[in-house]
Amino acid sequence: MIKVNNRPVEWQEGMTIKKLINILKYSYPVLIVTINGEHIPREKYEAATVSDGDDVKIIHPIAGG
Amino acid sequence: MKFLDKNEELCTKCHLCEEVCAAAINKSDDREKSAIRIDDEKDIGIINVCNQCGECIEVCSEQAIFKAKNGVILINKSKCIGCLICVGYCPSLSMIFHEDIPAPFKCIACGKCTDECPSGAIFLKEIIDEEQVAAGVAE
Amino acid sequence: MSCILTAEHVHKIKAARKVLKEFKYEPAKLEKGYANKSLYINISNNSIVSKDVTEKMKDVFIGGKGFGLWYLWNAVNPLTKWNDPENEIVISPGPIAGITQYPGAGKSLVVSISPTTGSVVDSNVGGHFGPFLKFSGWDALEIQGKADREVIIFIDGNKGTISIEEAPLESVDTHLIIEELTEMYAESDEDKRNISVVSSGTAAQNSYIGLLNFSFYDKRRKSPRVKQAGRGGIGTVFRDKKIKAIVVKFNGVKGDLNNPVDLKKIQELGIKLHKEIHDFDAIQTQKREVGTANLVEIMNDYDLLPVNNFKYGNHPETWKIDSKQIKKKVTQNMPDGCWYGCSMACAKAVDGFILKTGPYKGQKVLIDGPEYETVAAVGSNLGIFNLDHVLECNFYCDTYGVDTISLGTTTAFLMECYESNILNKEITGGLELTFGNKDAAMELLHQMSRGESFGKIAGLGVRKIKELLVKEYGAEPQFLNDIGMENKGMEYSQYISKESLAQQGGYAMTNKGPQHDEAWLIFMDMVNNQIPSFEDKAEALHYFPMFRTWFGLMGLCKLPWNDIEPANNRQTSEPAKVPEHVQNYVELFNSVTGKTINKQELIVQSERVYNFQRIFNIKMGFGQKVHDNPPYRSVGPVTVEEYLSRQDRYDQQMKELIGVAPDGKTIEEKIKITRKYREDQYEELRQTVYKRRGWTENGIPTLEHIRNLGIDFPEVLEVVNKHL
Repeated sequence: MIKVNNRPVEWQEGMTIKKLINILKYSYPVLIVTINGEHIPREKYEAATVSDGDDVKIIHPIAGG
Repeated sequence: MKFLDKNEELCTKCHLCEEVCAAAINKSDDREKSAIRIDDEKDIGIINVCNQCGECIEVCSEQAIFKAKNGVILINKSKCIGCLICVGYCPSLSMIFHEDIPAPFKCIACGKCTDECPSGAIFLKEIIDEEQVAAGVAE
Repeated sequence: MSCILTAEHVHKIKAARKVLKEFKYEPAKLEKGYANKSLYINISNNSIVSKDVTEKMKDVFIGGKGFGLWYLWNAVNPLTKWNDPENEIVISPGPIAGITQYPGAGKSLVVSISPTTGSVVDSNVGGHFGPFLKFSGWDALEIQGKADREVIIFIDGNKGTISIEEAPLESVDTHLIIEELTEMYAESDEDKRNISVVSSGTAAQNSYIGLLNFSFYDKRRKSPRVKQAGRGGIGTVFRDKKIKAIVVKFNGVKGDLNNPVDLKKIQELGIKLHKEIHDFDAIQTQKREVGTANLVEIMNDYDLLPVNNFKYGNHPETWKIDSKQIKKKVTQNMPDGCWYGCSMACAKAVDGFILKTGPYKGQKVLIDGPEYETVAAVGSNLGIFNLDHVLECNFYCDTYGVDTISLGTTTAFLMECYESNILNKEITGGLELTFGNKDAAMELLHQMSRGESFGKIAGLGVRKIKELLVKEYGAEPQFLNDIGMENKGMEYSQYISKESLAQQGGYAMTNKGPQHDEAWLIFMDMVNNQIPSFEDKAEALHYFPMFRTWFGLMGLCKLPWNDIEPANNRQTSEPAKVPEHVQNYVELFNSVTGKTINKQELIVQSERVYNFQRIFNIKMGFGQKVHDNPPYRSVGPVTVEEYLSRQDRYDQQMKELIGVAPDGKTIEEKIKITRKYREDQYEELRQTVYKRRGWTENGIPTLEHIRNLGIDFPEVLEVVNKHL
């Protein structure tokens, strides 16, 4: 189990930020991602692995609509 | 088309081109009113000047920016309403704006600065593009 | 555009004109963003008066919506109805409006008593009218009275003339009249850019959900186009007053006409934002390429796109109406704005669309948009996943003068009533109003334009239809109240708020009704989980409505605030607020007006007007706690099928949030338990928000708060004291 935005999400073997974003269907074009507080730039989404127990934040920086 | 080309390695940062340009296009001795800019802080990208790419033409809602027959991009000042989108949208930031001058201005490839440049770092270049051939102004 | 307008035809309609009143004036030169004059026109007795705009008005109400509310407050009494002659339509652009350097600065705010809510409504609209009005010397235009024959009001801002003219032969539908009037008032093709027309349409006069179109001349297409003041039925008021159009003509737009105190600063801010948009729009929200339509697929992915009267949040066929498909239809291959200097350029248009239905069937027309709201309202929310239908409906709504949002939400409600056997073919006059039936949906709109059959009923809007169904057909009121997506008499705009408590408040604790222009908190709340506590949500429901109110005081558009963001925004402490852009706005205001506000005072400026509007609602018999009740459809699942569609989610919440085991319970029992929980949550949120906003438990601004804001005028206190 990992936490995404302080909510529990099932962890999977080989999980990366890119895979996690796909699972969650987070298609919004601008995201702010951190793993355990460390900022992950967009170009590293594929390489950044998520380990079991990680605290992930995927923030959608809009208050728009 | 005609445009101002450069060989930055030769530039001595003497700023003479800026003085010539400001006097020529804005009748001023203020270098801030020059369409060519020399950046003392830089080693690469010292000379900033319009390369006549024409991206500013389509962002102008007033159709005040146009390409002359010789390929140089010109601004019809009377049509300009001062929105400055062309300034923000210039890929090389070579559309210049100065608060004393109502419309933005840019290099028109007149060649006055190249005539005066002591080191040969700037020079006029002419390449024939397809559009000109099609328009019958070049072969 | 569609009609072939001959010189002969223009001559004929012009010849039928009769000038009822003429007024000459010396156009005021703008000083620091203000003309310091406002124009009052009464079309009952054809009087035209120039009023002074006082310093006090500017300090307290700022401009735009603030001026509109103040003039309307003085014009009406608690018994005034939308169709009484005392009701006004006030159009005011605001002090920043008309600058050409900073994106999104051409907006007008329209204020009136609404036919659907019975209270005050405001609508924010683009196009060239507002800035032209100001450049013609007027900070606001008040129109009161009712004409006894069809009229047009014409303002020539260069010559300094205003006329009220009898206009018997002009068309009513917008796509025709804007062309007729642009042709008629322009002296040459070159002059057409100097004309802006406010108009409505034939469905506005036969429904309560009429809108106003504000035109701008598209120099590349060589055709006038329109932007809409959609919400609240102001087009209906306009047609009830027998106004066919208001025309303003102003030649000479330049970047310094507002006479700001610090033009250089405005220029710097403008260039900075242009550059930001140049560098980042393509990788951020792509407003230049697709406008607001990119939200269609995003909302679908997040289960937020309304489907079948807000029952569901996504649909497998959404791809048929998403921005990729829309992009193929949009024909102008360059970015497109509705006021000078807007590099955000969200305006889009479809050229040469051949209409398949209605009175203009077979004609080739130009269609503005479609915006996200329209795609969702007349597409997914009706279960219709057909882009040609969306475009056809978009065109007819605009030209008939009908709000796509209210039309969509109302039609969705009728479709659910039909599928629930509350309506049948006998009542609908043969229309089979099932979800997905695009032909029935289109016919309903055409009937509205003709003022016939069931279209007349649909045009009443959700609240009045509910009353009618209960009274005439014995329908069960609670079910109708649960599924009828209206609050305060206004139809909901197009987002699913069930999983965002904050957005439920963002919709129902608004001043004018459930329009997301006050607060859009779904991502912050539901997705990001950034505002978990009631206090966090209440703070957001204080800050964002106040901040967003400010655009309406200034004549600004919301999009350049947060649909583009600076490179380092994500590293700031509050990225949702886009702090750098907030600072831009502070500096813009100061650079235009010469005042010295900071970001805290910006919020206070809004709070004054926001609370004044709340009190205005109270004056008109609304504006209390009971009026902030949401329909349950916006809060949680009403029906069994709705619960079943997201059963895992609701069961999990029952276990984890409510602490009740869902096992062994019937769906009806689970719906009841979920409902009790969610309604209690809403109630707790409401009380926390009221407290944060400085209101009593009944939602009335406290005397202390009113005094602190400096809006403790005797007439304000008189209204409030009755409720404290």
